[in-house]
Amino acid sequence: MAKIRISAYTDKISVKAGDTLSVMASAEGTDSVHAALVRLIHGDEHPDGPGFIEEKVASPVERDWPVRKQYVQKGNFLRVADPKGQLAVAGAVTLHAYIFPTMPNDGRQAILGRWSVDGTRGCALGIGASGRLEFWVGDGTAADSVTAEVPLIARVWYFVAASFDPATRTATIYQEPVINRYNSLLSKIVPYDYRSHVSQVLRVRPAHGPDTPFLIGGASDHNPSRGGFVSALYSGKIDRCGVQAAVLDRAALDAIRNGVRPPEAGFLAYWDTTEGYTDRGIGDEVRDTGPHALHAVGINRPVRCQTGWNWAGRNDCFRLAPKEFGGIEFHNDALTDCHWQPTLTLDIPADLKSGVYAVKLTAGDGQSAAEEYTTFFVRAATPRAPICLLMPTASYLAYANFQGAFDGAFLQSITAVTPVFAEVDIEVYKNDVEFGLSTYDTHNDGSGVCHSSYHRPLFNMRPKYRFTGVGGVWQFPADLSIVAWLEHMKYDYEILTDEDLHRDGVAALKPYSMVLNATHCEYYSEPMMDATEDYLAGGGRLLYLSGNGYYWVVGFRPDEPWVMEVRKLEAGSRAWQARAGEHYLASTGERSGLWRHRNRAPQKLVGTGFSSEGMDGSVPYRRMPDGYHRSVSWIFAGVEGEVFGDFGLAGGGAAGIEIDRYDLAQGTPPHARILASSEPFTDNYPLVQEDIMFMTPGLGGTQHPWVRADMTYFTTPEHGAVFSASSIAWGSALPCHKFDNSVSRIMKNVVDAFLKPGLLPGSEFDAK
Amino acid sequence: MSAFIQSNKAAAEGPSLIGRRRLLPRLRSHGGALWRRWRYPFTRRTPLLIETAYNPKTLAAEKEIVDKRPLYWIAGLLVLLVVPPVFGDNSFLSAATVFAIYAAINIVWMLMIGTAGIFSLATLAVVGAAAYTVSYISIHTGLPWWGMIAVSPLVGLLFGVLIAIPAIRLEGFYYALLTVGIADLCREFVLQTQALGAASYGLYGADTYVPKGISERGGLLLSFYAAFVVMLAALALYRMVNGQRLGLLLRTAPEGQEAFAAALGINYRAARIQVFLISSAALGAIGGFYATYFKGASPALFTMDSLLLLLAMIVIGGIGTAEGAVVGTLIVVLFDRVFIGLGPVRLIIIAMIMFGTVLFLRRGLFGIAPQFRAWRDKRRSERRALRTGEGDDIMPEDATQIADKQAIYTQRFDKQLREELKKLVTDELIAEHRRTDGGRRSDALERILTFFRRAEVAGKYAILAEKPFAAYRIVALSGKRGMPPRLVDDQVFATQEEAQHGVFLKRIRDLLDS
Ligand SMILES: [Fe+2]
Repeated sequence: MAKIRISAYTDKISVKAGDTLSVMASAEGTDSVHAALVRLIHGDEHPDGPGFIEEKVASPVERDWPVRKQYVQKGNFLRVADPKGQLAVAGAVTLHAYIFPTMPNDGRQAILGRWSVDGTRGCALGIGASGRLEFWVGDGTAADSVTAEVPLIARVWYFVAASFDPATRTATIYQEPVINRYNSLLSKIVPYDYRSHVSQVLRVRPAHGPDTPFLIGGASDHNPSRGGFVSALYSGKIDRCGVQAAVLDRAALDAIRNGVRPPEAGFLAYWDTTEGYTDRGIGDEVRDTGPHALHAVGINRPVRCQTGWNWAGRNDCFRLAPKEFGGIEFHNDALTDCHWQPTLTLDIPADLKSGVYAVKLTAGDGQSAAEEYTTFFVRAATPRAPICLLMPTASYLAYANFQGAFDGAFLQSITAVTPVFAEVDIEVYKNDVEFGLSTYDTHNDGSGVCHSSYHRPLFNMRPKYRFTGVGGVWQFPADLSIVAWLEHMKYDYEILTDEDLHRDGVAALKPYSMVLNATHCEYYSEPMMDATEDYLAGGGRLLYLSGNGYYWVVGFRPDEPWVMEVRKLEAGSRAWQARAGEHYLASTGERSGLWRHRNRAPQKLVGTGFSSEGMDGSVPYRRMPDGYHRSVSWIFAGVEGEVFGDFGLAGGGAAGIEIDRYDLAQGTPPHARILASSEPFTDNYPLVQEDIMFMTPGLGGTQHPWVRADMTYFTTPEHGAVFSASSIAWGSALPCHKFDNSVSRIMKNVVDAFLKPGLLPGSEFDAK
Repeated sequence: MSAFIQSNKAAAEGPSLIGRRRLLPRLRSHGGALWRRWRYPFTRRTPLLIETAYNPKTLAAEKEIVDKRPLYWIAGLLVLLVVPPVFGDNSFLSAATVFAIYAAINIVWMLMIGTAGIFSLATLAVVGAAAYTVSYISIHTGLPWWGMIAVSPLVGLLFGVLIAIPAIRLEGFYYALLTVGIADLCREFVLQTQALGAASYGLYGADTYVPKGISERGGLLLSFYAAFVVMLAALALYRMVNGQRLGLLLRTAPEGQEAFAAALGINYRAARIQVFLISSAALGAIGGFYATYFKGASPALFTMDSLLLLLAMIVIGGIGTAEGAVVGTLIVVLFDRVFIGLGPVRLIIIAMIMFGTVLFLRRGLFGIAPQFRAWRDKRRSERRALRTGEGDDIMPEDATQIADKQAIYTQRFDKQLREELKKLVTDELIAEHRRTDGGRRSDALERILTFFRRAEVAGKYAILAEKPFAAYRIVALSGKRGMPPRLVDDQVFATQEEAQHGVFLKRIRDLLDS
């Protein structure tokens, strides 16, 4: 029997009663899947915990559904809307563009044109198999081309063009560098002669297919099983480009190269990639400022706000000099939306309790059994419970479909363990990372991945999934341990996601007495930061159960909340680093990087901020002298001894994985108390990079006092308070010993106290 | 063995200087100037395959003629065309004419052997049959010389059909034997047939293209030029058949893979026969020309010694190339006809060249260059292997091939670090790794682990959870997207911790083995 594979995703990540959720599935080896609605309670299958727990919920979706294989169009390109076929030029034509190729030796890549790969029809400017600029012409039966003399050099700006004169069938290629002191990898001291001008009489004249789209960064293709798709995907940046229904001579092209608008004779289109910038960034539309306004739209979120051919280095943001930021970056493996057809839809019933749910899809049995969980979160239509568990969906996106354990050389040095893969990881990797990458990965050309989306199957959102890098649960499946604890303790809680927090702001949190955030809330947008700050300032109570939270500045576009954008800048624990001048989010216009470097270190919100990470083992906490003060000692009621938390499903301790510390210099509230701190870590927990001013030896856990997790507590206005565990491993310690343990007891003490409105316990002991 | 000695010496003295002086003139790219690329009419072919690339040592854009053979051909043919008439005496000139005719025969024969893969030794027999037939017709009907040349391909074709039939059934050696027999039969036939000049050892009196009354030198010159044209025609035919559809067809189905070719829908046998018949017709035409040159035909065409001489030419030049056929012919004709003063010794010299070629060269004289390159590469990799054994440092000649020079340093650094770390490995250290999973470790163990963890991805060990919490295996990563990790061995570990230790043991073993 053929091997069955099911992959699926949902159109929404957070729903409430009355919403309709669509499940998009693709399957191989079966034409039918069985669906069931399940409530997820616990994920981690570690034998020391309760194991995987799900509860089936009766639902009309529970039946067999027909499925088929659905394909994925990967790669960035721009599609030009040209309903009248004005770009199907039959006569003389010139195509021109500024390019900054990043992988010129990666086979055929289309830069711009109306080119059908399967039909060898049309014409386009591209890069050939030899890494040289080419101009392709096809009449539907035969193709011909002219090739530039010298190969293209990666990461250097060029102005390139090709013209075709049908009278003589002469094609001419134009290639000139436009390197300045700032814009390219190499400077003018390198003795390359980048220029090339070649003309050749071709054997065919272009004939345009009626349906071939005009594309920038790819070419139209077709195969019988898949239908139409786009191939010959380009990697690199493209700045302003255009089409002229005339043969532009050398002088005319020289003028365009110098930034002059193309001449009126034969002017067909000119995509001015710098048009449309606002203070809040830019969208996917690329405007044609030519006579026909044939605007283009980016697929899979081409990266905008990138430095252009004329970036002069003085201005580091498109907001200061938009005309210098015409670069649009294309990657042949980018993916922000699979655009699959829905397999089934689910109307969220009014009586469905807020919680973590999944549509579970199954097929086959025995050896060939396959399953897929499409996780989503149901929030309350009208909040009633006092407790809110905030699911850090932005951070889930950041890690979505992480591939670094396969090809990131850095990974084992960080984790200090050998990665552990499951069959599914290998399957996905073998299929050329078919469902895209995480923001911890690099594209095929080595550039960092700055967009991540939930409109694609995400295997790190499967409840049993174990994170390859550490061989344990990470984020969502680990967060289920907090869900299981709330269930076990029979607390009345409701779920919110980052998406709700981002959209609704403090209003989303306001109804709740307290908010618990999960094990790793690392990625935060400005509205999310603001909402948390306002909630706490207005008497809100927060249990910060993460390590390395409130760390990266991210952005979402209101029209596409499923895509998150981040730029990793010069500091922080970062998998890649954005190029100079490319530090601002296209989604919002904000500077990305660390919140700490925008003067909003996590310490200002929750008292602690990132201090170290390591995955070789976790440690217990030791109570600090301040923890015995009567104003806070109630937190430890029922906890015996000075050392606690020497257990856990993540590394065998409650403090570990990623940890945070108290730091007045970063804005820890001055009245914050350190209740307990972690026992010493190994040297595989080094001090975070942003704390290092000079490189010195002795930055590891056995030698540096800053490598520690601080459990802190402080009050905020209007009877608000923040309890910070400051460790990712905290959540995974909760289910140990059947939830009867010191970590669980501390959590219960804090939650019970936070449930009572008004004065907090211990507040009577505040005499000076 | 000599490679080993040399390399040891080099190691002792430190690396020797490398780098080659530029021998050919530097051809710069067109730069900013327009390069109008010209094509042969009605084709996509541009004259000479010119490729401009950046010289990695200077980054200068340099033009290079990728396929220099057309230049060599033109130069070689010019020399052949000019030297005999200008510098040669009459006997040299007639030797040159014989050379051109034999070269033409060999080029066509190369099509049969090399392209069609049919080992016919009746080549001269076809030439002879055509020569005899047209001579006979000319003598008896007064057929003019151009008529003789016109008829001769038909004779060649007919003869070709006759000897092609057994080729369908017989393979290789037996077929070759049969064709030798046919040639000998022809010889006996003409020697015993009065009408074919049995008495006069040859049939003479046919028409010739050499006009009456022309001077002796003039006649010789004309004959030479005519023979040269025949050779050029043979070359053109070779190029047409071998370089175009038929040749391509046969190259996609090399010998021994006929079944595979048939599966692809390639009619291999028909293509072979087609090439064989075309070649036979061409041999017939050469026979016609031969008859108009010698005014008849001689039984010598059918003799064993002629055949052996022809075989020597082909063997020396190497089977499968036109240039091999021409140069092989040149060498043999030089010894046989020009260095005639050497006496019978020259035949021994030819035999020795032939034996030398067979013994030492895989594909004749024109196989020397690729054979040398293969030998050099093999020697290089042997030396590299030896160096790796000695100490992992990259050889200067290899360093030039590495684009990222940092890799050279990293390799040296890692080698020194490995030596240092090897000294730390003890049984106690291995036991400590087992004991301290998840806890604090000694500085020595951490040093070793830190080195292991930062290794490059390709070949790095990882763990596959075949059944989580039950069965773990060790895999090695590819470092290339789309290429899954491979299982390293058949060890199965019950827990992740045991697998982690298993990986450690493997890495320790690799360290100690390095
Ligand atoms: Fe993180």
